Amino acid sequence: MAVAADAAAADAAADVTTAYGVGIGWRPEIAGFVAGLPGLRFAEVVAESVHAHGDLPPGLQELLDRGVTVIPHGVRLSLGGAEPVDPERVAHFAAVAERLHAPLISEHIAFVRAGGVEAGHLLPLPRSYAAVDAVVANVERLRAATPVPIALEPIAAVFDWPDDELDEASFLTEILDRSGALLLLDVANVYANARNRGTDPLELIDKLPLDRVAYVHVAGGADHDGIYHDTHTDAVPQPVLDLVTALCERHRPPALMLERDGDYPPARTLSDELDAIAAASGYPAVT
Amino acid sequence: MTRDDHPLKPGGGVESLADRQAGLVKALTSRARVPEGFDGRLIEVARVALLRKRAGEVAKQWPMLAAGPAWPRVFLQWAADRPTLGALRDGWDLARELAAGGELPALAGEELATREATMSYDGTSAPRRRRGPALRRAAGVVVLQIAGTVRTVRRA
Repeated sequence: MAVAADAAAADAAADVTTAYGVGIGWRPEIAGFVAGLPGLRFAEVVAESVHAHGDLPPGLQELLDRGVTVIPHGVRLSLGGAEPVDPERVAHFAAVAERLHAPLISEHIAFVRAGGVEAGHLLPLPRSYAAVDAVVANVERLRAATPVPIALEPIAAVFDWPDDELDEASFLTEILDRSGALLLLDVANVYANARNRGTDPLELIDKLPLDRVAYVHVAGGADHDGIYHDTHTDAVPQPVLDLVTALCERHRPPALMLERDGDYPPARTLSDELDAIAAASGYPAVT
Repeated sequence: MTRDDHPLKPGGGVESLADRQAGLVKALTSRARVPEGFDGRLIEVARVALLRKRAGEVAKQWPMLAAGPAWPRVFLQWAADRPTLGALRDGWDLARELAAGGELPALAGEELATREATMSYDGTSAPRRRRGPALRRAAGVVVLQIAGTVRTVRRA
Protein backbone atom coordinates (compact mmCIF):
# COMPACT_ATOMS: atom_id res chain seq x y z
CA MET A 1 0.00 0.00 0.00
CA ALA A 2 2.73 2.41 1.08
CA VAL A 3 4.87 1.24 -1.82
CA ALA A 4 2.03 1.79 -4.25
CA ALA A 5 1.43 5.25 -2.81
CA ASP A 6 5.13 6.05 -3.10
CA ALA A 7 5.19 4.84 -6.68
CA ALA A 8 2.14 6.94 -7.49
CA ALA A 9 3.74 9.96 -5.86
CA ALA A 10 6.94 9.36 -7.82
CA ASP A 11 4.96 9.17 -11.05
CA ALA A 12 3.14 12.35 -10.13
CA ALA A 13 6.42 14.09 -9.32
CA ALA A 14 7.90 12.96 -12.62
CA ASP A 15 4.86 14.36 -14.35
CA VAL A 16 5.19 17.68 -12.56
CA THR A 17 8.76 18.11 -13.76
CA THR A 18 8.08 17.04 -17.34
CA ALA A 19 4.53 18.29 -17.78
CA TYR A 20 2.94 21.71 -17.81
CA GLY A 21 -0.03 20.74 -15.65
CA VAL A 22 -2.97 23.16 -15.52
CA GLY A 23 -3.01 26.30 -17.68
CA ILE A 24 -5.46 28.86 -18.99
CA GLY A 25 -6.41 30.64 -22.20
CA TRP A 26 -4.91 34.12 -21.92
CA ARG A 27 -7.34 36.90 -22.85
CA PRO A 28 -6.81 40.68 -22.38
CA GLU A 29 -9.87 40.88 -20.09
CA ILE A 30 -8.34 38.45 -17.56
CA ALA A 31 -4.67 39.41 -18.02
CA GLY A 32 -4.41 40.60 -14.40
CA PHE A 33 -5.88 37.38 -13.05
CA VAL A 34 -3.58 35.22 -15.19
CA ALA A 35 -0.53 37.27 -14.17
CA GLY A 36 -1.40 36.56 -10.53
CA LEU A 37 -1.37 32.74 -10.84
CA PRO A 38 1.75 31.67 -8.94
CA GLY A 39 2.00 28.10 -10.25
CA LEU A 40 1.19 28.80 -13.92
CA ARG A 41 3.55 27.12 -16.39
CA PHE A 42 1.63 27.43 -19.63
CA ALA A 43 -1.05 29.54 -21.29
CA GLU A 44 -2.60 29.73 -24.72
CA VAL A 45 -3.25 32.88 -26.74
CA VAL A 46 -5.43 33.39 -29.81
CA ALA A 47 -2.85 33.66 -32.59
CA GLU A 48 -4.84 36.24 -34.59
CA SER A 49 -4.92 38.58 -31.56
CA VAL A 50 -1.12 38.88 -31.42
CA HIS A 51 0.84 41.25 -33.68
CA ALA A 52 3.64 39.52 -35.55
CA HIS A 53 5.76 42.61 -34.94
CA GLY A 54 5.23 45.56 -32.62
CA ASP A 55 4.28 45.32 -28.95
CA LEU A 56 2.76 42.26 -27.37
CA PRO A 57 -0.53 42.84 -25.52
CA PRO A 58 0.16 44.15 -21.98
CA GLY A 59 0.60 41.24 -19.59
CA LEU A 60 1.66 38.68 -22.15
CA GLN A 61 5.30 39.81 -22.22
CA GLU A 62 5.41 39.52 -18.41
CA LEU A 63 4.27 35.90 -18.64
CA LEU A 64 7.02 35.13 -21.14
CA ASP A 65 9.58 36.88 -18.92
CA ARG A 66 8.45 34.64 -16.05
CA GLY A 67 9.16 31.57 -18.16
CA VAL A 68 5.51 30.71 -18.79
CA THR A 69 5.15 28.82 -22.07
CA VAL A 70 2.64 30.53 -24.38
CA ILE A 71 1.08 28.51 -27.19
CA PRO A 72 -0.53 30.38 -30.12
CA HIS A 73 -3.93 28.94 -31.01
CA GLY A 74 -5.24 29.78 -34.47
CA VAL A 75 -8.96 30.21 -35.08
CA ARG A 76 -9.11 31.66 -38.62
CA LEU A 77 -6.75 29.61 -40.76
CA SER A 78 -9.55 27.38 -42.07
CA LEU A 79 -7.32 24.30 -42.31
CA GLY A 80 -10.32 22.21 -43.37
CA GLY A 81 -11.21 24.51 -46.23
CA ALA A 82 -11.07 22.91 -49.66
CA GLU A 83 -9.19 26.00 -50.79
CA PRO A 84 -5.49 26.34 -49.92
CA VAL A 85 -4.91 28.14 -46.64
CA ASP A 86 -4.14 31.89 -47.11
CA PRO A 87 -0.33 32.35 -47.28
CA GLU A 88 -0.57 35.67 -45.41
CA ARG A 89 -2.38 34.03 -42.50
CA VAL A 90 0.17 31.22 -42.46
CA ALA A 91 3.06 33.71 -42.43
CA HIS A 92 1.45 35.63 -39.56
CA PHE A 93 0.87 32.47 -37.54
CA ALA A 94 4.47 31.34 -38.06
CA ALA A 95 5.81 34.78 -37.09
CA VAL A 96 3.71 34.80 -33.90
CA ALA A 97 4.96 31.32 -32.98
CA GLU A 98 8.54 32.50 -33.39
CA ARG A 99 7.86 35.70 -31.47
CA LEU A 100 6.47 33.75 -28.50
CA HIS A 101 9.21 31.08 -28.73
CA ALA A 102 6.34 28.60 -28.76
CA PRO A 103 7.24 24.90 -28.62
CA LEU A 104 3.91 24.05 -30.27
CA ILE A 105 1.10 25.69 -32.24
CA SER A 106 -2.52 24.61 -32.60
CA GLU A 107 -5.50 25.03 -34.92
CA HIS A 108 -8.84 23.33 -35.60
CA ILE A 109 -10.13 20.54 -37.77
CA ALA A 110 -12.72 22.84 -39.30
CA PHE A 111 -13.32 25.47 -41.96
CA VAL A 112 -14.35 29.08 -41.40
CA ARG A 113 -14.82 30.44 -44.93
CA ALA A 114 -15.69 29.21 -48.39
CA GLY A 115 -16.29 30.84 -51.75
CA GLY A 116 -14.92 34.13 -50.40
CA VAL A 117 -17.50 34.33 -47.59
CA GLU A 118 -16.61 34.29 -43.89
CA ALA A 119 -18.81 32.02 -41.78
CA GLY A 120 -17.83 33.80 -38.55
CA HIS A 121 -17.16 30.60 -36.64
CA LEU A 122 -15.68 27.11 -36.87
CA LEU A 123 -17.74 24.82 -39.09
CA PRO A 124 -17.57 21.01 -39.18
CA LEU A 125 -16.20 19.00 -42.09
CA PRO A 126 -17.81 16.01 -43.72
CA ARG A 127 -16.05 12.90 -42.43
CA SER A 128 -14.86 12.07 -45.91
CA TYR A 129 -11.55 11.23 -47.56
CA ALA A 130 -11.81 14.48 -49.56
CA ALA A 131 -11.95 16.41 -46.28
CA VAL A 132 -8.99 14.45 -44.87
CA ASP A 133 -7.06 15.35 -48.03
CA ALA A 134 -7.93 19.04 -47.61
CA VAL A 135 -6.80 19.17 -43.96
CA VAL A 136 -3.60 17.21 -44.63
CA ALA A 137 -2.68 19.47 -47.58
CA ASN A 138 -3.23 22.62 -45.51
CA VAL A 139 -1.30 21.28 -42.51
CA GLU A 140 1.54 20.60 -44.95
CA ARG A 141 1.41 24.25 -46.11
CA LEU A 142 1.52 25.40 -42.49
CA ARG A 143 4.36 23.02 -41.68
CA ALA A 144 6.40 24.47 -44.55
CA ALA A 145 6.29 27.85 -42.77
CA THR A 146 7.13 26.84 -39.20
CA PRO A 147 9.42 24.23 -37.64
CA VAL A 148 7.30 23.72 -34.48
CA PRO A 149 4.88 20.80 -34.08
CA ILE A 150 1.19 21.39 -34.81
CA ALA A 151 -1.68 20.11 -32.68
CA LEU A 152 -5.13 19.80 -34.25
CA GLU A 153 -8.36 20.28 -32.32
CA PRO A 154 -11.61 18.50 -33.21
CA ILE A 155 -14.49 20.98 -32.80
CA ALA A 156 -17.93 20.94 -31.22
CA ALA A 157 -20.50 20.83 -34.02
CA VAL A 158 -24.16 21.74 -33.78
CA PHE A 159 -24.88 19.79 -36.99
CA ASP A 160 -23.28 17.02 -39.04
CA TRP A 161 -22.86 16.55 -42.78
CA PRO A 162 -25.27 14.02 -44.26
CA ASP A 163 -22.91 11.60 -45.97
CA ASP A 164 -19.97 10.44 -43.83
CA GLU A 165 -17.51 7.89 -45.17
CA LEU A 166 -15.72 7.51 -41.82
CA ASP A 167 -16.76 7.53 -38.18
CA GLU A 168 -15.44 10.33 -35.96
CA ALA A 169 -12.51 8.35 -34.49
CA SER A 170 -11.34 7.01 -37.87
CA PHE A 171 -11.68 10.45 -39.43
CA LEU A 172 -9.55 12.07 -36.73
CA THR A 173 -7.00 9.24 -36.61
CA GLU A 174 -6.65 9.31 -40.41
CA ILE A 175 -5.92 13.06 -40.29
CA LEU A 176 -3.37 12.68 -37.47
CA ASP A 177 -1.66 9.69 -39.11
CA ARG A 178 -1.37 11.30 -42.50
CA SER A 179 -0.42 14.80 -41.30
CA GLY A 180 1.86 13.72 -38.44
CA ALA A 181 0.09 16.31 -36.26
CA LEU A 182 -0.54 16.01 -32.53
CA LEU A 183 -4.00 16.07 -30.98
CA LEU A 184 -5.46 19.00 -29.05
CA LEU A 185 -8.30 17.21 -27.32
CA ASP A 186 -11.13 19.46 -26.14
CA VAL A 187 -13.08 17.38 -23.62
CA ALA A 188 -15.89 19.94 -23.61
CA ASN A 189 -16.25 19.46 -27.38
CA VAL A 190 -16.27 15.70 -26.93
CA TYR A 191 -18.94 16.09 -24.26
CA ALA A 192 -21.05 18.51 -26.35
CA ASN A 193 -20.96 16.32 -29.46
CA ALA A 194 -21.76 13.13 -27.54
CA ARG A 195 -24.62 14.80 -25.74
CA ASN A 196 -26.11 16.30 -28.88
CA ARG A 197 -25.71 13.09 -30.88
CA GLY A 198 -26.83 10.85 -28.03
CA THR A 199 -23.56 8.90 -27.93
CA ASP A 200 -21.10 7.96 -25.15
CA PRO A 201 -18.16 10.40 -24.94
CA LEU A 202 -15.86 7.68 -23.58
CA GLU A 203 -16.53 5.52 -26.61
CA LEU A 204 -14.80 8.16 -28.76
CA ILE A 205 -12.02 8.81 -26.24
CA ASP A 206 -11.24 5.08 -26.09
CA LYS A 207 -10.73 5.02 -29.86
CA LEU A 208 -8.45 8.07 -30.07
CA PRO A 209 -4.62 7.87 -29.97
CA LEU A 210 -4.29 9.32 -26.46
CA ASP A 211 -0.50 9.15 -26.56
CA ARG A 212 -0.70 11.82 -29.29
CA VAL A 213 -2.54 14.33 -27.06
CA ALA A 214 -0.39 17.48 -26.77
CA TYR A 215 -2.81 19.22 -24.43
CA VAL A 216 -6.44 19.41 -23.46
CA HIS A 217 -9.08 22.15 -23.50
CA VAL A 218 -11.72 22.33 -20.77
CA ALA A 219 -14.64 24.76 -21.08
CA GLY A 220 -18.22 25.42 -20.08
CA GLY A 221 -21.42 25.49 -22.07
CA ALA A 222 -25.17 25.82 -21.82
CA ASP A 223 -28.41 24.45 -23.24
CA HIS A 224 -30.36 26.49 -25.81
CA ASP A 225 -33.03 25.26 -28.22
CA GLY A 226 -32.58 21.68 -27.00
CA ILE A 227 -28.90 21.73 -27.99
CA TYR A 228 -25.86 21.88 -25.71
CA HIS A 229 -23.73 24.79 -26.90
CA ASP A 230 -19.99 24.93 -26.17
CA THR A 231 -20.15 28.62 -25.22
CA HIS A 232 -16.92 29.21 -23.26
CA THR A 233 -18.98 31.80 -21.36
CA ASP A 234 -20.60 29.46 -18.81
CA ALA A 235 -19.27 27.41 -15.90
CA VAL A 236 -17.56 24.08 -16.61
CA PRO A 237 -20.22 21.45 -15.86
CA GLN A 238 -19.43 18.47 -13.63
CA PRO A 239 -19.78 15.89 -16.47
CA VAL A 240 -16.92 17.66 -18.31
CA LEU A 241 -14.74 17.47 -15.18
CA ASP A 242 -15.68 13.79 -14.84
CA LEU A 243 -14.53 13.32 -18.43
CA VAL A 244 -11.19 14.93 -17.50
CA THR A 245 -10.82 12.36 -14.72
CA ALA A 246 -11.79 9.46 -16.98
CA LEU A 247 -9.31 10.66 -19.63
CA CYS A 248 -6.48 11.01 -17.08
CA GLU A 249 -7.17 7.51 -15.75
CA ARG A 250 -6.55 6.19 -19.26
CA HIS A 251 -3.62 8.37 -20.23
CA ARG A 252 -2.91 11.63 -18.48
CA PRO A 253 -2.02 14.37 -20.99
CA PRO A 254 0.94 16.65 -20.15
CA ALA A 255 -1.22 19.78 -19.99
CA LEU A 256 -4.86 20.79 -19.53
CA MET A 257 -6.29 24.30 -19.69
CA LEU A 258 -9.41 26.31 -19.02
CA GLU A 259 -10.91 28.18 -21.97
CA ARG A 260 -13.06 31.17 -21.10
CA ASP A 261 -14.11 33.68 -23.77
CA GLY A 262 -16.50 36.14 -22.23
CA ASP A 263 -18.93 36.91 -19.38
CA TYR A 264 -15.85 36.68 -17.17
CA PRO A 265 -16.77 35.72 -13.61
CA PRO A 266 -15.06 37.05 -10.47
CA ALA A 267 -11.43 35.93 -9.96
CA ARG A 268 -12.53 33.60 -7.18
CA THR A 269 -14.78 31.65 -9.56
CA LEU A 270 -12.02 31.34 -12.16
CA SER A 271 -9.66 30.11 -9.42
CA ASP A 272 -12.21 27.52 -8.35
CA GLU A 273 -12.53 26.29 -11.94
CA LEU A 274 -8.75 25.97 -12.30
CA ASP A 275 -8.61 24.11 -8.97
CA ALA A 276 -11.39 21.80 -10.10
CA ILE A 277 -9.42 20.93 -13.26
CA ALA A 278 -6.32 20.30 -11.12
CA ALA A 279 -8.32 18.04 -8.78
CA ALA A 280 -9.94 16.18 -11.67
CA SER A 281 -6.60 15.56 -13.40
CA GLY A 282 -4.40 15.04 -10.34
CA TYR A 283 -2.06 17.91 -11.22
CA PRO A 284 -1.08 20.45 -8.57
CA ALA A 285 -3.19 23.59 -8.22
CA VAL A 286 -1.72 26.65 -9.95
CA THR A 287 -3.70 29.20 -7.97
CA MET B 1 -34.79 15.82 -55.12
CA THR B 2 -34.08 17.81 -58.25
CA ARG B 3 -31.01 17.30 -60.39
CA ASP B 4 -29.51 20.52 -59.05
CA ASP B 5 -29.90 19.38 -55.45
CA HIS B 6 -28.09 16.12 -56.00
CA PRO B 7 -24.44 15.84 -55.01
CA LEU B 8 -23.91 14.30 -58.44
CA LYS B 9 -23.80 17.26 -60.78
CA PRO B 10 -25.81 17.16 -64.01
CA GLY B 11 -22.48 16.75 -65.83
CA GLY B 12 -21.95 13.51 -63.95
CA GLY B 13 -19.08 14.62 -61.67
CA VAL B 14 -19.34 14.62 -57.90
CA GLU B 15 -19.86 18.10 -56.49
CA SER B 16 -16.55 19.28 -55.09
CA LEU B 17 -15.86 19.80 -51.42
CA ALA B 18 -15.23 23.48 -52.20
CA ASP B 19 -18.69 23.90 -53.78
CA ARG B 20 -20.37 22.06 -50.93
CA GLN B 21 -18.60 24.15 -48.30
CA ALA B 22 -19.55 27.34 -50.16
CA GLY B 23 -23.20 26.23 -50.30
CA LEU B 24 -23.26 25.56 -46.58
CA VAL B 25 -21.67 28.92 -45.71
CA LYS B 26 -24.25 30.69 -47.91
CA ALA B 27 -27.10 28.92 -46.10
CA LEU B 28 -25.65 29.97 -42.75
CA THR B 29 -24.81 33.58 -43.63
CA SER B 30 -27.32 34.65 -46.29
CA ARG B 31 -30.36 32.48 -45.61
CA ALA B 32 -29.70 30.62 -48.87
CA ARG B 33 -31.35 27.22 -49.34
CA VAL B 34 -30.07 24.57 -46.93
CA PRO B 35 -28.08 22.01 -48.96
CA GLU B 36 -29.71 18.64 -49.49
CA GLY B 37 -29.41 16.12 -46.68
CA PHE B 38 -28.61 18.51 -43.82
CA ASP B 39 -30.93 18.71 -40.80
CA GLY B 40 -32.72 22.01 -41.41
CA ARG B 41 -33.59 22.48 -37.74
CA LEU B 42 -29.95 22.12 -36.64
CA ILE B 43 -28.72 24.39 -39.45
CA GLU B 44 -31.17 27.01 -38.19
CA VAL B 45 -29.86 26.60 -34.62
CA ALA B 46 -26.31 27.03 -35.93
CA ARG B 47 -27.31 30.04 -38.06
CA VAL B 48 -28.79 31.87 -35.08
CA ALA B 49 -25.84 30.90 -32.85
CA LEU B 50 -23.46 32.40 -35.44
CA LEU B 51 -25.47 35.63 -35.51
CA ARG B 52 -25.47 35.84 -31.71
CA LYS B 53 -21.72 35.33 -31.65
CA ARG B 54 -21.31 38.10 -34.21
CA ALA B 55 -23.61 40.38 -32.19
CA GLY B 56 -21.34 39.86 -29.17
CA GLU B 57 -18.22 40.66 -31.17
CA VAL B 58 -19.79 43.83 -32.62
CA ALA B 59 -20.91 44.87 -29.13
CA LYS B 60 -17.28 44.74 -27.97
CA GLN B 61 -16.19 47.13 -30.73
CA TRP B 62 -19.34 49.30 -30.64
CA PRO B 63 -20.54 49.31 -27.01
CA MET B 64 -22.82 52.36 -27.41
CA LEU B 65 -24.41 50.98 -30.58
CA ALA B 66 -25.12 47.75 -28.70
CA ALA B 67 -26.38 49.47 -25.53
CA GLY B 68 -30.06 49.07 -24.75
CA PRO B 69 -32.68 46.34 -24.81
CA ALA B 70 -33.10 46.24 -28.64
CA TRP B 71 -29.67 44.64 -28.99
CA PRO B 72 -29.06 41.91 -30.20
CA ARG B 73 -32.46 41.78 -31.96
CA VAL B 74 -31.65 44.76 -34.19
CA PHE B 75 -28.32 43.23 -35.16
CA LEU B 76 -29.74 39.75 -35.81
CA GLN B 77 -32.33 41.20 -38.15
CA TRP B 78 -29.83 43.40 -39.97
CA ALA B 79 -27.10 40.74 -40.24
CA ALA B 80 -29.27 37.79 -41.25
CA ASP B 81 -28.39 38.10 -44.93
CA ARG B 82 -25.11 40.00 -44.59
CA PRO B 83 -22.05 37.78 -44.10
CA THR B 84 -19.55 39.30 -41.69
CA LEU B 85 -16.90 41.74 -42.87
CA GLY B 86 -15.40 41.78 -39.37
CA ALA B 87 -16.92 43.26 -36.23
CA LEU B 88 -15.56 46.77 -36.87
CA ARG B 89 -17.12 47.06 -40.33
CA ASP B 90 -20.33 45.21 -39.40
CA GLY B 91 -20.98 47.69 -36.58
CA TRP B 92 -19.94 50.63 -38.75
CA ASP B 93 -22.29 49.68 -41.60
CA LEU B 94 -25.20 49.16 -39.21
CA ALA B 95 -24.54 52.42 -37.34
CA ARG B 96 -24.44 54.39 -40.62
CA GLU B 97 -27.68 52.80 -41.76
CA LEU B 98 -29.42 53.60 -38.47
CA ALA B 99 -28.03 57.17 -38.54
CA ALA B 100 -29.29 57.69 -42.09
CA GLY B 101 -32.76 56.57 -41.00
CA GLY B 102 -32.67 58.85 -37.94
CA GLU B 103 -32.76 55.81 -35.66
CA LEU B 104 -29.34 56.13 -34.00
CA PRO B 105 -29.41 57.31 -30.34
CA ALA B 106 -27.13 60.23 -29.38
CA LEU B 107 -24.52 58.19 -27.47
CA ALA B 108 -24.18 55.78 -30.38
CA GLY B 109 -24.04 58.86 -32.64
CA GLU B 110 -21.06 60.17 -30.69
CA GLU B 111 -19.41 56.77 -30.99
CA LEU B 112 -19.98 56.73 -34.76
CA ALA B 113 -18.88 60.34 -35.26
CA THR B 114 -15.71 59.63 -33.27
CA ARG B 115 -14.90 56.64 -35.48
CA GLU B 116 -15.66 58.66 -38.63
CA ALA B 117 -13.35 61.44 -37.45
CA THR B 118 -10.43 59.17 -36.56
CA MET B 119 -10.64 56.64 -39.40
CA SER B 120 -11.74 56.84 -43.01
CA TYR B 121 -14.00 54.08 -44.24
CA ASP B 122 -15.33 53.95 -47.79
CA GLY B 123 -17.84 51.20 -47.02
CA THR B 124 -16.14 48.66 -49.26
CA SER B 125 -12.59 48.19 -47.97
CA ALA B 126 -10.81 48.08 -44.61
CA PRO B 127 -10.99 51.36 -42.59
CA ARG B 128 -7.75 53.36 -42.36
CA ARG B 129 -6.52 55.78 -39.74
CA ARG B 130 -6.83 59.40 -40.88
CA ARG B 131 -3.65 61.45 -41.21
CA GLY B 132 -5.26 64.88 -41.08
CA PRO B 133 -7.89 66.55 -38.89
CA ALA B 134 -11.59 65.85 -39.43
CA LEU B 135 -14.97 67.20 -38.34
CA ARG B 136 -17.78 64.63 -38.39
CA ARG B 137 -21.40 64.51 -37.30
CA ALA B 138 -23.83 61.67 -36.57
CA ALA B 139 -27.23 61.69 -34.86
CA GLY B 140 -26.86 65.41 -34.15
CA VAL B 141 -23.48 65.02 -32.42
CA VAL B 142 -20.48 66.82 -33.87
CA VAL B 143 -16.92 65.78 -33.06
CA LEU B 144 -13.58 67.27 -34.05
CA GLN B 145 -10.39 65.26 -34.38
CA ILE B 146 -7.04 67.02 -34.47
CA ALA B 147 -3.73 65.10 -34.27
CA GLY B 148 -5.58 62.02 -32.99
CA THR B 149 -7.36 63.85 -30.17
CA VAL B 150 -11.15 63.86 -30.39
CA ARG B 151 -13.35 66.55 -28.88
CA THR B 152 -17.13 66.64 -28.96
CA VAL B 153 -18.04 70.16 -30.12
CA ARG B 154 -21.83 69.76 -30.12
CA ARG B 155 -24.00 67.27 -28.27
CA ALA B 156 -27.41 66.23 -29.51
